[in-house]
Amino acid sequence: MRWSNTSTKPSTESDLQMTTTSAAPADKAIPEIVTNSASPRPTGWLSWLTSTDHKRIGIMYIVAAWMFLVLGGVEALLIRLQLAVPDNTLLSPQTFNALFTMHGTTMIFLFLMPMIAGIANYLVPLMIGARDMAFPKLNALSLWLFIAGGIVFYGSLLFSPAECGWTCYAPLSETAYSPSNGVDSWIFLVHLVGVSSFIGALNIFVTITNMRAPGMSWGRLPLFVWTILTQAIMLIISLPVIAAAVTLLLTDRHFGTHFFDPTNGGSPLLWQHLFWFFGHPEVYILVLPGFGVISEILPVFSRKPIFGYKAIVAATLGIAVIGTLVWAHHMFTVPLPFFLLVFFMLGTYLVAIPTGVKIFNWVFTMWRGAIEFPVAMLYSIGFLATFLLGGITGIFLATFPVDWQLHDTYFVVAHFHYTIVGGAVFSMMAALYYWFPKMTGRMMDEKLGRVSFALTLGGFWITFLIQHSAGLSGMPRRVYEYADVNNLGTYNMISTIGSFILALGVLLTIVNIVQSLRSGAKAGPDPWRGNTLEWFTPSPPPINNFDVVPRVRSVEPMRDIRRQIERQSRVGDEADVAAGS
Amino acid sequence: MPASTTPRPVKNSILFGIVLVAALLIPASAALAGIVAPEAGGGTPNAEGIRSLYLLIFGFGCVVFAGVGGLLIWTIVRYRSSKGAVAVQVHGNNRLEIGWTVGAALLLVLISVVTFVKLDQIKNPPNSSANGLSTPKNVSFSSGPAKPALPPNGRSLNIDVNGQQYVWRYTYADTDTNNLNNVFSYGQMVVPTNTTVSLSIRALDVQHSWWIPELGGKFDAVPGYTNYTWFKISEPGIYNGQCAELCGRGHATMIASVKAVSPAEFEQWYAAQKAAILAAEKEVAATRNAQVAKDEQALKDAQKEAGPPAAPAEPADGEKIFVAGVPATGALACGSCHALKQAGTNAAVGPNLDVVLKGQSAAMIKASTLSPNKLISKGFAANIMPANYATSLTEAQLDALVQYLDEAVNGK
Repeated sequence: MRWSNTSTKPSTESDLQMTTTSAAPADKAIPEIVTNSASPRPTGWLSWLTSTDHKRIGIMYIVAAWMFLVLGGVEALLIRLQLAVPDNTLLSPQTFNALFTMHGTTMIFLFLMPMIAGIANYLVPLMIGARDMAFPKLNALSLWLFIAGGIVFYGSLLFSPAECGWTCYAPLSETAYSPSNGVDSWIFLVHLVGVSSFIGALNIFVTITNMRAPGMSWGRLPLFVWTILTQAIMLIISLPVIAAAVTLLLTDRHFGTHFFDPTNGGSPLLWQHLFWFFGHPEVYILVLPGFGVISEILPVFSRKPIFGYKAIVAATLGIAVIGTLVWAHHMFTVPLPFFLLVFFMLGTYLVAIPTGVKIFNWVFTMWRGAIEFPVAMLYSIGFLATFLLGGITGIFLATFPVDWQLHDTYFVVAHFHYTIVGGAVFSMMAALYYWFPKMTGRMMDEKLGRVSFALTLGGFWITFLIQHSAGLSGMPRRVYEYADVNNLGTYNMISTIGSFILALGVLLTIVNIVQSLRSGAKAGPDPWRGNTLEWFTPSPPPINNFDVVPRVRSVEPMRDIRRQIERQSRVGDEADVAAGS
Repeated sequence: MPASTTPRPVKNSILFGIVLVAALLIPASAALAGIVAPEAGGGTPNAEGIRSLYLLIFGFGCVVFAGVGGLLIWTIVRYRSSKGAVAVQVHGNNRLEIGWTVGAALLLVLISVVTFVKLDQIKNPPNSSANGLSTPKNVSFSSGPAKPALPPNGRSLNIDVNGQQYVWRYTYADTDTNNLNNVFSYGQMVVPTNTTVSLSIRALDVQHSWWIPELGGKFDAVPGYTNYTWFKISEPGIYNGQCAELCGRGHATMIASVKAVSPAEFEQWYAAQKAAILAAEKEVAATRNAQVAKDEQALKDAQKEAGPPAAPAEPADGEKIFVAGVPATGALACGSCHALKQAGTNAAVGPNLDVVLKGQSAAMIKASTLSPNKLISKGFAANIMPANYATSLTEAQLDALVQYLDEAVNGK
């Protein structure tokens, strides 16, 4: 018996359970399909709003994140339209500053963090063989705090949104220079999504450390779960610091304190240290889960085990430790003592070693494999190529004398889009195409997915590769207009064209999602022949995930199970043949 | 070792070669077009150092990108799934993995060494050339713990660069202690060629960032801090840049430029600016004096018109003047800035009078009241105390005040 890609199994799919009869003698331990009766799943919108099921919460996270992706994307397109030609007067400086503030804040706090939280929420319990998160009600609280944060922040559109960039540097963000309450709504957003992420991280941490399937030792934990665990620890370390920073800003703005006001003994650099102590780990908080996704997808479609499991886990932990200690490389141009410049430069170089280790391990996971190219795999490869360049430009910026020239220019804008879009967004797209069948029970359209992938990847490279040149030609970031010198007009026009291609690519994926939800092919429990436990249960999984949790004997439990089924059925066939003859 | 697919070594090596050459050629040709390296020009050693360090790292980056990218492409082409392909079940290879970890580390050590070799040229200013402007030694605007970047002989033309929403102000350091008569300009800075120019960068309101791409890196102007950089231009010309840190709605229009001229031309420009400032100062002083004279006359006329005071003025009360001042004429209360035990004041804007007036003569107290800048107590700046007591107090009031102070401090 084999699992096939299209389900021809009995139509009562949700009642289908797979189980091992572990009590039976070893030679009879055949996994088998049994049908149980389960109580019907509650339906209706109210059942979603009140759900504490990690899968429904995960899906709501993802849907909300994609709504914010559309908003952030529209903001990005408006920014690119304004910059398409030199000396453009399409947008006022006020609108432009508000747009890039909202774009950055939205993409980080309202798209990527909830998208990752959604994927993690959905998959972590399934991958470790748990029936839900450790604290289901706290999990729902996390979701609704994030949505409240998004509403509060977008509420500022009705009056005057913040104009201080997603970094909101003091004293520009103080009342003297930002009198409108846009900054206050930004502070409120950071608090709400911060508390949301903090609770979520604690929940994830407790779930992973306590609720793993029997036999799932740390050495058999799926790599995606390792990265989510590491990310949760980083969130727990760094979120309190940004919460403190925005609280100080709030009291400066409204309660007469002067933490960041140099005329009263405060320091603008205090804000920068506090912000980047969160802000730099945040980069790894966004890309580490992406690394985990890639580490799950590459082995499946290369039909090979991951190359160097232990090295990848060690690299993940190494990146987390070093990444937490290099924040001041965002501050090479402020007055800092020389030894700090050297310390933060060398520290940042060190991050490149575990990152390089990972890239080589991923390439060698494919090496001598039999590689298949579904859209999830294409995005994973797109991730590798894009993130590679983002990593290399990171070395330029880590070198502080070179950073003196490149800091706060479009070179930096290009660099962090290569790392964040290449590292986090592409991997989340891969995750979407890979796990959509599990979440919905339906396959996504591969053909449309390929077109979408080509446009997304091509559009991305057209948009952002040329921005390195704009930065090298003297264009600072966050300017609403520029003079037509040093070919800046050409560079920006190319970039704007690319951004619309990129947007079309993302739009096609949204179309794909909507279409596939209605008319996608039935997926069956394990359409990809995956390695991890989520493929053990039907798609979509029942409320309790698993009736019986199999014992885990390696990092690829589903491979073991498939192999066992094959072996048993071969024995059975041979027995049949023997009996027949 | 099962052969996974039909080997196509020739085809693959050709493909690999093309990818490698393309990956190397594209950046090389682009470099000629000036797309992949920072702007250069002006011949200042720091900018050239940064540019050459950038190009070295760019070289390393190209090799790594072509190497890893090539390996990636070769892998996915060579090992793509095909009929009968079997994936080799390997879990890792310690030797390989240690190899690329050490390889990455070595490359970073190499980049670190190159950086430290180049650092001196980028960070430390050289002396001015013989054909540059001769400048005084150790004259610079500085504050805080950080040290200004000065050449070995300590001689540079120091300019205070002050970022303000949305313009740059440049103040040229000179040897006298009066900072109000220094040559200054807005927007465009004029400097002599072949001369080391050191900059003290500050901000008035929010954070800004000083950046002229062709003259080296950018340095942030942070309120409450002084940041330092330098340049030494050999080519005359105008070098443009702009604020590089978001500073508000006018950020994009906060442009900066540096005009480099020969030392002789610079001296001419500097002298003209200085003369203009002195002339303006003189003019302002004349206007001010005329206005003061006019006001005094008007006051006298008004007093004359009002006739003699109805009742004889109550005897001047020194303590009252000290504590409350004479608001009608604009004489501020001494006690709002000075501490004096007898009057029960403890403000610390000005020096504690119990300390500084101890043992002073009445004449000295009077002189210090009338001309506060003549003798400045240690730890206090000039121009803090109003110098209007000669006009805002009558002779009788002044004498009463002095007598009160004398008695309060020296206990007569």
